[in-house]
Amino acid sequence: MILQQIFDAINLGLVILDRDLKIQEWNRWMEVHSGIEADKIKNSSIFDTFPHLNNPKFTRSCKSVFTFGNFCFFSQKLHHYLFPFKTKSLSEINFEYMQQSCAMGPLRDENNNIKYLFIYVQDMTEVAIYEHKLVEINMRDGLTGIYNRRFLEIKLKDEFNRYKRYGGVFSIIMFDIDYFKKVNDTYGHQCGDFILKSVSSRASSLIRNVDYLARYGGEEFCCVLPETGIHAALAVAERFRTAILQQENNFDNNVIKVTISLGVAEFQKDMESDSTLLKKADEALYKAKKEGRNMVVVMQ
Amino acid sequence: MMETDNKQVLSSEELEILQEIMNIAFGKSAADLTDVIDTHVVLNVPFINVMHVAALPDYIRNYVKDYVNISIVEQRFWGRFRGDALLVFSSGSGKELIGMLQHGEGMSLVSDHIEILERETLMEVGNILIGACVGKVAELLKDIVTYTPPVIVLERHYEDAFSENDFAPDQTAIVLKTDFNFSEGNISGFLFLVTSNDSIQWLKDALQIFIEQYE
Repeated sequence: MILQQIFDAINLGLVILDRDLKIQEWNRWMEVHSGIEADKIKNSSIFDTFPHLNNPKFTRSCKSVFTFGNFCFFSQKLHHYLFPFKTKSLSEINFEYMQQSCAMGPLRDENNNIKYLFIYVQDMTEVAIYEHKLVEINMRDGLTGIYNRRFLEIKLKDEFNRYKRYGGVFSIIMFDIDYFKKVNDTYGHQCGDFILKSVSSRASSLIRNVDYLARYGGEEFCCVLPETGIHAALAVAERFRTAILQQENNFDNNVIKVTISLGVAEFQKDMESDSTLLKKADEALYKAKKEGRNMVVVMQ
Repeated sequence: MMETDNKQVLSSEELEILQEIMNIAFGKSAADLTDVIDTHVVLNVPFINVMHVAALPDYIRNYVKDYVNISIVEQRFWGRFRGDALLVFSSGSGKELIGMLQHGEGMSLVSDHIEILERETLMEVGNILIGACVGKVAELLKDIVTYTPPVIVLERHYEDAFSENDFAPDQTAIVLKTDFNFSEGNISGFLFLVTSNDSIQWLKDALQIFIEQYE
């Protein structure tokens, strides 16, 4: 009697299955989140309502509970959920289904024989959202919203190693806003921030989903272009240059136009590391600056 | 030194019974494991040792040093039979197991995802292996155990994988060691069951009851 009240009052989903995986108990929490009443679902196979659970991991786990009396764990990180329950949108990051951390274990009769298994379901959606946000913060630049340098360096290393192993082409573009210090000195730092945002959002709009654009330093940016040879990369760089050149930035009743200088470099199989590639692009950028700015230089 | 310890904790008769129970338990586990994870696991005859907990890290290191890098799944088990189970996998086992167990399900193999998948797969298999072995021993001794969720140390050099602080000092432990390998893939490792001090008296009694069935 008392235990039954806890069974229904607890803020966890509790399900009990028999050896044929038929549902024997379905607590209030499960009723609320699934919209299925206990009486309607009891004595039916769990696969009738949740056919996706008929997969190797789930059936293997049930077997190991009944065979060994094991406890099995289904982490939110890998499995996301066992029971697809719709979530109310809690924030801008929306999971289609409630994120769950679940476990199962044995229930024995008075002779110690394993008769049932229990599953408990814990709602982890809020934690998952929080984690998702932390990961985002960790890889994005706070001002411009594009990737940050840390993320770029990880991705560049990954790409570099991948191309080194499997071959193929990829290129990077380094670029920098010309006379950026002048913008700051003339119109103030807020305007400088505005220009940084405007340049990065314009450049973002010109790349593919597979490319990575990151703020590399103060007014310096880097773009990784997988599966892109030097000629195509040069074309992208040229597109960046003309788009920024033509862009009018309206800040505080001033129309400010800026230009960028760009350096392009292509991955070569004999390059020692990803920093060699970065250095090449940086040298090209330096050359573009030195030769008059508002131009693209390719490092062969 | 080891000899004196053995005498203090378990008599030679008790050790013999325990050895027998282990042989039966691990034999049964191996058979049932094949059924659960669809691949044959060879569990070799377990070896029982009684030692001071402080000597444990070196004892384990000595067995696993040839692997250089190892992954460890650790789980505590709680019954009257209680202690720590440490399952040490050879380097690369996680990735091999992913291929064997996932059957194409799971997630796309982006580098950070692979690590998560590797962890989870090792934990799942570790959980099953530990449960199978501990569960059978407990069953033969008429005990029921529960488990804490597994924790994992992934791909670390064997010298750094254990710390003396992981184990309570001044305690004596009965250490059961077995090595295993999977018939498929290049997967092998060791299982160490470190029985806690609290359960030694119970274990002595349970061993006595076990042998009385046959007398």
